[in-house]
Amino acid sequence: MADLTAQCGSAVLRTPIVLASGPSGFGAELLRGAALAGVGAVTTKTLTPTARGGNPQPRLVDAPAGVLNSVGLENPGLESFLQNELPGLRELPAAIVVSMTANDPAEIGRMAMRLSGELCVAAIELNLSCPNVSGRPAGDDPVLVGRFVRAAVDCGSKPVLAKLAGDRGDVRVPGEAALTAGAAGLTLINSVRGVRIDRRTGRPLFHRVFGGLSGPAILPIALARVYEARLAFPDALIVGTGGVTDLGGLLEMLFAGADLVGIGFGVMGTPRLAGELAAELDRWLADHGIVRAAELVSAAHRGGIGVPVGIAALNR
Amino acid sequence: MNERTRAQTGAAREGPLFSWVSACTTFRQTASSFARVRLAAPGLPTGRPGQFVLVRPAGTALLPRAFSVFDADPGEVELFVKADGVLRRQLFEGTIGERFEVRGPYGVPFSDVIDPGRRYMLVGGGCGIAPLRRFADVYPGRVAATVYGFRTAEVEGLLSGVHLVTEENGGEMAHERARAVWRPGMGVLACGPEPMLREVARAFRGAPDVYVSLECRIGCGIGACRGCSILTTRGMRRVCRDGPLFAAEEVPWLI
Repeated sequence: MADLTAQCGSAVLRTPIVLASGPSGFGAELLRGAALAGVGAVTTKTLTPTARGGNPQPRLVDAPAGVLNSVGLENPGLESFLQNELPGLRELPAAIVVSMTANDPAEIGRMAMRLSGELCVAAIELNLSCPNVSGRPAGDDPVLVGRFVRAAVDCGSKPVLAKLAGDRGDVRVPGEAALTAGAAGLTLINSVRGVRIDRRTGRPLFHRVFGGLSGPAILPIALARVYEARLAFPDALIVGTGGVTDLGGLLEMLFAGADLVGIGFGVMGTPRLAGELAAELDRWLADHGIVRAAELVSAAHRGGIGVPVGIAALNR
Repeated sequence: MNERTRAQTGAAREGPLFSWVSACTTFRQTASSFARVRLAAPGLPTGRPGQFVLVRPAGTALLPRAFSVFDADPGEVELFVKADGVLRRQLFEGTIGERFEVRGPYGVPFSDVIDPGRRYMLVGGGCGIAPLRRFADVYPGRVAATVYGFRTAEVEGLLSGVHLVTEENGGEMAHERARAVWRPGMGVLACGPEPMLREVARAFRGAPDVYVSLECRIGCGIGACRGCSILTTRGMRRVCRDGPLFAAEEVPWLI
């Protein structure tokens, strides 16, 4: 059995597979189905300071090789999550990453502080790039990115991941801002803004017109962002998320530079996908005579697999 | 099989499956745009009336589609399918033995929601007849009347022994007939296109025990993704996990 463990801040994860924020809800639903085999960490749906109902139906619209969503950050609010959902998650065999967002850095600071005492929370993921709410995402403005991250880092005690968009500007700009402000890493990417229009009526299908595209369609986009970010930030923790639904996608994401790999759309279709992927990764590593999954990370930046890790470290 | 034994065997108390089960078509009976499609799905729990399963072609990573169960026996599930959309067309036209994946059954069974002491008028439109037909099959004693509406009479061969309301024969729609059939004391269980549900909810506003089974693009099917959340008088509720059956008064936007 190969060593699949991966590091997330000071937490050691069983596998590099992370349930991305959104499709896995707040964890309890998957816990009921014992669908957590192979999961290294569970990222909650994004929490806000107070409850949000989210967007009206329709919230899911099919797209070639994926789906567009317009859920709109439906969540019970941080306090309700802490009281009603988190206790059930404490016994999980996986680490917990709490995804959060707010309108201003002060609120983020308060939320981060509130989570400081929760031992089971391994990290905070700041959702700075949701395509499904009004206003410009904070991730578009590097100054705001820095402020949000700084607030979470200064007021809280958890490692902070900044979740950035796949389709807006140069990822190195907000990435640099986040890491300079103290972020431990970056989650790349959020769903990609898209539109679908009713062919019978000529009207946009979503009430908010735009939705977020996820699924295999966005895998190459996510890989590009991860590759680019890894080149620019050799030491940052990178969670590569976007379109991974099989072992091939998982491997590509690791090769591109992701330390951890998020699965979202794939879990919606197959709740036990993480367990399947972990078993396949284990077999693949054995077939290739590779002892540790972590050796695959950034292989694309050092001439592919088979190059000794020591040399790769020098190349960084 | 009497109602009690049927209900008990149909109500195998197994939980829903979170893993895909391999399935293949074993039987299909088609009309011009609807079909009954039976899938062998070894290991799939039979569930209870009102529940749905998720289906997708074998070997894809794509999101499945939700189908109300029309009939189920151990290891077999039968769907009532309209031939529109890629997957539905595949179920409708594909060869017998074509492979699919199924998981479920999900959703709260009708009998866990409705008042057990009442008898119900079942009002169905199009594919919405599927869970009602199963309910009537398993709980005949709880059915006061059935009103199943279709645009045309093409499905008569698929639903033997059932009187249908067809728009082309008489121009009457299901909700109109329902108004004539309903008697005080009857509950209402409705499933069908949203305009029909709206008419039913309006027609029986204020009457006790009026329920609508809602359809929605389902994502995960297990209540996690919130892709099927709807606003109700009890806050946000998920069609897949809290529904699909809701009291009509819980969804005032429908009216």
